[in-house]
Amino acid sequence: MIEARDVSVDIAGKRIVSGVDFDARPGEVAAIVGPNGSGKTTFLKALSGELAYTGRVALNGRDLSAMKPVEIAVQRAVLPQATTLSFPFTVREVVKLGLVGGRSGVLPGEDARLPERALARVDLDGFAGRFYQELSGGEQQRVQLARVLCQVWAPLLDGQPRYLFLDEPVSSLDIKHQLIIMNIARDFARRGGGVVAILHDLNLTAMFADRIFVMHRGRLAATGSPQEVLSDDLIEKVFDCRLKVGVLPAGNVPFVLPQSAA
Amino acid sequence: MVDQSIAGPVKAMTSPSEGDRSARARIVILLLCLGLVIAVLLSLTSGASDASAVDVIRDGLFGAMPGDAALSARDSLIVYDIRLPRVILGMLVGAALAVSGAVMQGLFRNPLADPGLVGVSAGSSLGAVAVIVLGGTMLAPLTALLGTLALPLAAFCGGLATTLVLYQVATRHGRTSVATMLLAGIALAALAMALTGILIFLADDRQLRDLTFWQLGSLSGATWAKIASVGPVIVLALAAMPFLARGLNALALGEATAGHLGIPVQRLKYTAIIGVSAAVGASVAVSGGIGFVGIVVPHLLRLLIGPDNRYLLPASALLGASLLLLADAVARTIVAPAELPIGIVTAISGAPFFLWILLRKRGVVDL
Repeated sequence: MIEARDVSVDIAGKRIVSGVDFDARPGEVAAIVGPNGSGKTTFLKALSGELAYTGRVALNGRDLSAMKPVEIAVQRAVLPQATTLSFPFTVREVVKLGLVGGRSGVLPGEDARLPERALARVDLDGFAGRFYQELSGGEQQRVQLARVLCQVWAPLLDGQPRYLFLDEPVSSLDIKHQLIIMNIARDFARRGGGVVAILHDLNLTAMFADRIFVMHRGRLAATGSPQEVLSDDLIEKVFDCRLKVGVLPAGNVPFVLPQSAA
Repeated sequence: MVDQSIAGPVKAMTSPSEGDRSARARIVILLLCLGLVIAVLLSLTSGASDASAVDVIRDGLFGAMPGDAALSARDSLIVYDIRLPRVILGMLVGAALAVSGAVMQGLFRNPLADPGLVGVSAGSSLGAVAVIVLGGTMLAPLTALLGTLALPLAAFCGGLATTLVLYQVATRHGRTSVATMLLAGIALAALAMALTGILIFLADDRQLRDLTFWQLGSLSGATWAKIASVGPVIVLALAAMPFLARGLNALALGEATAGHLGIPVQRLKYTAIIGVSAAVGASVAVSGGIGFVGIVVPHLLRLLIGPDNRYLLPASALLGASLLLLADAVARTIVAPAELPIGIVTAISGAPFFLWILLRKRGVVDL
């Protein structure tokens, strides 16, 4: 379990995140939504130990600020929004970097084939020998996810749940791969791990999230299940957009909902 | 990459996975070891004198041949006291410069970082010149205290100061801007050279001549004493570098991501900076400004074996040592019996190479 209490983050004297209470439970996908600049990524960076914060964060009962990078790395893996590489690594070499901490949680002999398994998982079978820099943005994002999966391959290690932190994991993906990636996240949670994902697509959020945390101007605007949180009023207040939840658009404007995926 | 088609059916048996270049890297490192042995033998046998290292080594192993004892004594002196220290110094300096280049490139996440290009060598140079010029006067207590270590230590401090300033200026929030790095390097090098200029202004005629040749870069004047003073520093710095390899690999993904993977990033950065400063400082102290080894060697190797530092660092050490020995052999023989400063040889071959990298990578290097 990840517990954050009254977490605030200042960057260059400006308060970006202000007094956020947050829980990520094993077995659940926790989604953080909110408009651009609402502090989602900054909050996730505090949660991952990357930014200094005030307040308290506990990772499986231990105070985050007292843990070493290598200890934190055993408990959670982080997928950033985008990753550029300055050297010509092959896809396999990038994915293998996820094993640098050596606690993937698979049997010792299975580590060697883990990059291939992770790549197959994100639908990049046969990409191992390609150069990372030659891939499209969406393919690069999936390579990074494969790397992140290698780091915490087993959702439970030594009886402790582990966590995936995903910052906009599907923003550069086509709809098929959006669904594949979100299913990976859900599966990770079902097998005992926890997932914290920043999402922009409210439909996908409604479909996959067990709990939603809505952020607005650095504060938590609402928390709860999708049914509780996603209301016309909240969306208008937070996103400054007059939308109707669950109402078909007028006329013959086509729309495609991920919920209709067979 | 190229050999995929021919390796096709065999691949399943020989190489376990596509995109895994570690097997190839091991073969390349093995070949580089062989290359270094050849370069050493070549260096020991070639030179202004016709002394034959083969004869001397044979004599050393099996005793002198009857009849050529007089000749052997002279040859033995040339090989053991002139060429051998020079070869060892060349290997140390070549390895130090190439590995420092590779580590800096990993640290700055940029294939264009090189101690010579971004002012680290100039900073080391300033430290060394300060000791040479002021060693008898202002810095006399220091030289008295440290003896032969004063020169490499001063060069180390100069290099360290430059690297730290450069890192502070060029890297913000874990991202290094190439443009800022190169421009800050130019500014720092200019500043160091200006200060060096003031020192040169203060130098007397004899020091001036020493300094000029030293600055051009040369392995001449290599003695066992010099090796004793800088050798341990370089060996120690080189020995520390392999421990950075995993961390530098992770750093290629960015400082934040390296941290997420459990790498103690701050410690890694400072170890790398101190190691590079020590290696470059020691090299500059004994051999002056030998440029471009740090950029040419890692770049060539990345084309061959990829950027994995676990292989890149040892391979860079081997190739750097070999190439510097070859460059020195050229410097010693091309205008024999006179000698060209080796810095000129490495610059003449390295500078066009650097331009070639820029042309090839114009799209990749985001200035």
